[in-house]
Amino acid sequence: MLKRLYAFFEVRLGINDILEQNLTKYLLPRNVNIWYTLGAVLLTLFVLQFVTGILLLVYYVTDPVEAYQSVERIMNEIPYGWLIRYLHAVGSNVIVIALLLHMLSVLFMGSYKKPRELTWVSGFILFNLAFALCLTGYLLPWSQLSFWATTVATEAAGAVPVIGDALVRFLRGGAMVGDATLGRFFALHVMVLPAGLAALIGFHLFCVRRIGISRPPFGDGYRPAEVKGYFEHEAHPGGIPFFPNYAIKDVAVISFFLGALVLLVFFAPGLFIPPSAFEPADPFTTPEHIKPEWYFLWAYQTLKIFPSEFLGLMAQGAIMTVLALLPFLDRGSERRPVRRPIFVTCYLLGIMLFVAISIWGHYS
Amino acid sequence: MMVVRGFRHLLVFMTVLLLLTSQAAAEESVCLQCHGGLEGRLGAPVAEWRTSIHAENGISCHDCHGGDPTDFAMAMSPERGFLGVPEYEAVPEFCGRCHIGVKEDYLLSAHGQAINQGGAQCVVCHDNHKVKKASPDLINHQDCSRCHEYGRADEIKAAVSDTDRMLAGLEIDLGILAKQGIAVKKMEGATFSLRNDFHRVFHTVDVDKVRSETSNFQQRGSEIQQQIDAVHDELSQRKLIGGVVAGLLFLASIIAFLIRNTYQKEEDAKR
Repeated sequence: MLKRLYAFFEVRLGINDILEQNLTKYLLPRNVNIWYTLGAVLLTLFVLQFVTGILLLVYYVTDPVEAYQSVERIMNEIPYGWLIRYLHAVGSNVIVIALLLHMLSVLFMGSYKKPRELTWVSGFILFNLAFALCLTGYLLPWSQLSFWATTVATEAAGAVPVIGDALVRFLRGGAMVGDATLGRFFALHVMVLPAGLAALIGFHLFCVRRIGISRPPFGDGYRPAEVKGYFEHEAHPGGIPFFPNYAIKDVAVISFFLGALVLLVFFAPGLFIPPSAFEPADPFTTPEHIKPEWYFLWAYQTLKIFPSEFLGLMAQGAIMTVLALLPFLDRGSERRPVRRPIFVTCYLLGIMLFVAISIWGHYS
Repeated sequence: MMVVRGFRHLLVFMTVLLLLTSQAAAEESVCLQCHGGLEGRLGAPVAEWRTSIHAENGISCHDCHGGDPTDFAMAMSPERGFLGVPEYEAVPEFCGRCHIGVKEDYLLSAHGQAINQGGAQCVVCHDNHKVKKASPDLINHQDCSRCHEYGRADEIKAAVSDTDRMLAGLEIDLGILAKQGIAVKKMEGATFSLRNDFHRVFHTVDVDKVRSETSNFQQRGSEIQQQIDAVHDELSQRKLIGGVVAGLLFLASIIAFLIRNTYQKEEDAKR
């Protein structure tokens, strides 16, 4: 029966050909390294977020009065609700870690360079969409932590000259974080942003597949590829087949990340979910130490370092703009790190600055 | 700097909002603002109150003394229910508006019976503005000996200490579970109720009565403890399962890497 069904689709869609072209006959560079697996890791984690998010939606109630209770119910009454919520909440942090590693590896290997500008830009937008998903999802449990973290985060928009106050009101749907904020954050978190994310992931993968995987810029035989003035798929004749040779490495790293996620969920969820996440939101009681999530600490501290919040926002905007447009600014064809000392120095200093400012933000 | 300024604006807005509501939070009441700036006996209660169990639980001046905590002009007006300072003999009634069971128990005691002759009332042991948390430590040689011999008080202290320790242990355990997202409201309610009932027993200063009730309290406490233990068991079980699942995933990762190595050798051999 299955064979006949398969034959039906094979005749009409040419499944064997699709599988061959994308799996066994899809050749990757022989020296492709472990960092290339992070895309598959992220795809797996996004799917996990999607599945756990839908399961949470079944019981979550979008109402300031009932939101916290519904999450408490998920955690305590719904079978495995705690597991689903933890996988979703802790998983989002693991995604941020994987995203950072993915972006840093692409930067180090210069894989963003021509002709892969669109792959980079779509990836960078995905990176920001993931942060937007984190921010909007943070408010939904309507806990003391989520309420005040969102208050602080949206307050920052007030530093924009002229339209700052209007922007804050627009983000919150009113003067204060309230039911209007919850409503719009919910709509963004479960519909708008995931739809945008899915579309962009599709485009990102299309770009990767269409232009071809970039060759790691290491080894004696490596020479920068000549980029022509017309489209050319970068093939790797004599390379290794994606399936099974490289796919098994994807499986290995995905399993490792999932193992780490499970360890965090079962043994140390408190690393990402502090006790104030288990207190219902109280707009009349400001907690003593309100700090954003670890991945926003750099932005939080940047706003404090500069003499005005506006300058801080400008600095953040400048950094993000440079990163977004990097392939158009760094136009040389050389990708070997040893031959890009200025870039590598900036790269390392940038990482150290990010870590140092984040730690400063944590203890400030 | 702007974040701090933003916060200040927010806090000012909150303050105004709170003052406009009838349930003004303790920190924002006009009582504290006005008396906080006074010296001597009119200002001292503010500093004392801040260290009290009442402050810890959000019980503010107007909750005991009445009045309007949102209106400077009418804060101490009898029209707004201001009661002022109660007479010495009226203190049990004053405190007993909230601590009903304790008051009933106290009035049966030698302390309560002798109140018109200067018998100890609530604030003699618990203090007034720096109201101390009810604890066996309040029964001590230094304080009790101010009025009478310590012997009987010591017996009472011994009789209540075990139950008090058990209650404190339950409260700590429940606090830890709450921080892990476990729904403990029912257990907290039962513990709170148990503590209240316990407090209703020993203000008569009747050692036999306390001893006869202790087994009942211990039984109720152990029932709550069993529920806490069941939660701990489940948490341990979760960790065990999580450890196994994580271990299997890491094992899968290692096996996949080993398979990849065999492919790598094949690829190198083909070169």
